[in-house]
Amino acid sequence: MKNKTALIFGISGQDGAYLARLLLEKGYKVVGTSRDAQMSFFANLKQLGIFDQVEVVSASLGDFRSVLQILKDTDPDEIYNLAGQSSVGLSFDQPVETFESIGIGTLNLLESIRFMDSGARFYNASSSECFGNTDGVPATEETPFRPRSPYAVAKAAAFWEVANYREAYGLFASSGILFNHESPLRPERFVTQKIVRTACRIADGSREKLRLGNTSVCRDWGWAPEYVEAMWLMLQQEQAEDFIVATGHTYALQELVQEVFACLDLDWQEHVELNPALLRPTDIMLSVANPLQAERLLGWKARSTMPDVVGMMVAENKKHCQAG
Amino acid sequence: MTKKALITGVTGQDGAYLSEFLLNKGYEVHGIKRRSSLFNTDRIDHLYQDPHEKNLRFILHHGDLTDSSSLLHTIAQVQPDEIYNLAAQSHVQVSFEEPEYTANSDALGTLRILEAIRTIGLTKKSRFYQASTSELFGKVQEVPQTEKTPFYPRSPYAVAKLYAYWITVNYREAYDMYACNGILFNHESPVRGETFVTRKITRALARIVLGDKECTYLGNLNAKRDWGHARDYVEMQWLMLQQDKPEDFVIASGEQHSVRDFVNAAAEELKIGIDWQGEGLEETGTVASAEQTELVGKTIVRVDPRYFRPTEVESLLGDPVRAKEKLGWVPKTSFRELVAEMVRYDMVEAQRDQLCKREGFSVKDHFE
Repeated sequence: MKNKTALIFGISGQDGAYLARLLLEKGYKVVGTSRDAQMSFFANLKQLGIFDQVEVVSASLGDFRSVLQILKDTDPDEIYNLAGQSSVGLSFDQPVETFESIGIGTLNLLESIRFMDSGARFYNASSSECFGNTDGVPATEETPFRPRSPYAVAKAAAFWEVANYREAYGLFASSGILFNHESPLRPERFVTQKIVRTACRIADGSREKLRLGNTSVCRDWGWAPEYVEAMWLMLQQEQAEDFIVATGHTYALQELVQEVFACLDLDWQEHVELNPALLRPTDIMLSVANPLQAERLLGWKARSTMPDVVGMMVAENKKHCQAG
Repeated sequence: MTKKALITGVTGQDGAYLSEFLLNKGYEVHGIKRRSSLFNTDRIDHLYQDPHEKNLRFILHHGDLTDSSSLLHTIAQVQPDEIYNLAAQSHVQVSFEEPEYTANSDALGTLRILEAIRTIGLTKKSRFYQASTSELFGKVQEVPQTEKTPFYPRSPYAVAKLYAYWITVNYREAYDMYACNGILFNHESPVRGETFVTRKITRALARIVLGDKECTYLGNLNAKRDWGHARDYVEMQWLMLQQDKPEDFVIASGEQHSVRDFVNAAAEELKIGIDWQGEGLEETGTVASAEQTELVGKTIVRVDPRYFRPTEVESLLGDPVRAKEKLGWVPKTSFRELVAEMVRYDMVEAQRDQLCKREGFSVKDHFE
């Protein structure tokens, strides 16, 4: 039997890099896309030491022809859609680009898969942001969406596009509703990495302050390398189905801050400043997940919760600081 | 001071009724229409005012929901007090064939208007109405459907409208705009688009009675819908923008009929009795009784699977209790009156076409 081919849209991001590593370990041929493969640095793939093992090509999800062409060229068994504008904060400033890359992009992929009729399996990166505030009850796969940002609204539309194409045309297409998942590969505009890096610099003698918008927001933070396993598992099922992927443990951002500074033997209260300019026009206060369905049907369960994640991110950052 | 309203989709069914309604209320009404090589203003020609007249109160602008700058220019120029976004690729079946265009016009189009309002700095002045739809409920999660019922969209059209719904809610919450969604259940009228099932039925039956048509082919006869009159529904669109606080409303009749029921009701208006035989693809509707004896025994309704949707919405039924309480909503036109009005209108049109043809004038047939 020939090796399976996986096509990853958005391979240069955090999840794309970890997923590529996982699939390479499983013997897949891995092809990945970036909007301009020659201008991308693929820093994440290089950091994981797998850049020379994957094939990278240029493709833009917004351009139907480029999507169709790459499906034709690679004839993949599995397609992972991890591309798209990924920042909630930025989506308030660039709402149209956010929908074009997420909403229209997913539609272009689904239409191309339907047109090719090759039986390729499709994974779509959905997001816990679709739920908005999960007041009281932890979100399950049955919980109605209540998105609270242009990013979340676009992700909700993409989720329903996937569901509709599965039901209308029988595509093997699943959405993973992933709650926050972090790693050293996160760029600094994500709050977790911003906290870790700032705290590490302070530990190294920097006199800066850590400026945050709202530290009372609560999230379920997991470890990205574990989450890509769930993505792969979802495409190995008999039936396409949507799953929540989360740890099931929710913490306040303040607890995360505390944990990071404690790792560095610092008192967070001396270094944190609240800045209302960093508040989003609308934000989610509480995000709680019930990931039992994934455990029951995929046999997947998060091994790391927030304190583990923070510990690993701080350790990795210290390593780089000392090396640099 | 005269209030100004801007209507996208002004050439459509709702756009025409709403324009007339707002003009009667004393508004200055601006409409955005797409450029087309064909005239597409039939529904508003009776409202048209020559641009050379003084004190114009009905003004058309070229524009397109897929073109941000056209929206920006028109909104900046008009400075409307109220904006009604009625423009859309509004046909469910077509959305399966043109999903990207549907997303672009229905989802992004709504976002482009909201962004234009923000960019021009009219968030405190311009109130925004978004034409939302019962198709959002799709595979219904409860019966009847209210503002609290979770959505389950089942077509590219419904998914695009879901985006438009939530982005409207998000702009209301994020930027404190007066923006709201009217979740309107099916609303019909004599000027409903000819490819929508209700109008297709009344047009076909009128022509069958006159002997100009043999048979009409329909899709899912069992589909159940909550049908009202567009003229009643546009009044609620306006009322939603006159409240103290912006809020989303379900507008529906609260009554449900199948497509087959609609055929029966329309036939009855024409004094035809229909005998239904067979099931599924084999189901037929045959004339059991009619004043025109030559019609009796003829099969005038058949099923064609081309009109089935890849994912079907079987049953929609709205509960407009919030609109009743807060907007004083009472549907003025009953199902029977709606059907009767549509049949009367299409009968006159069919007679006119027949007369023209007989006298040797060309008549436009609409094949789609």
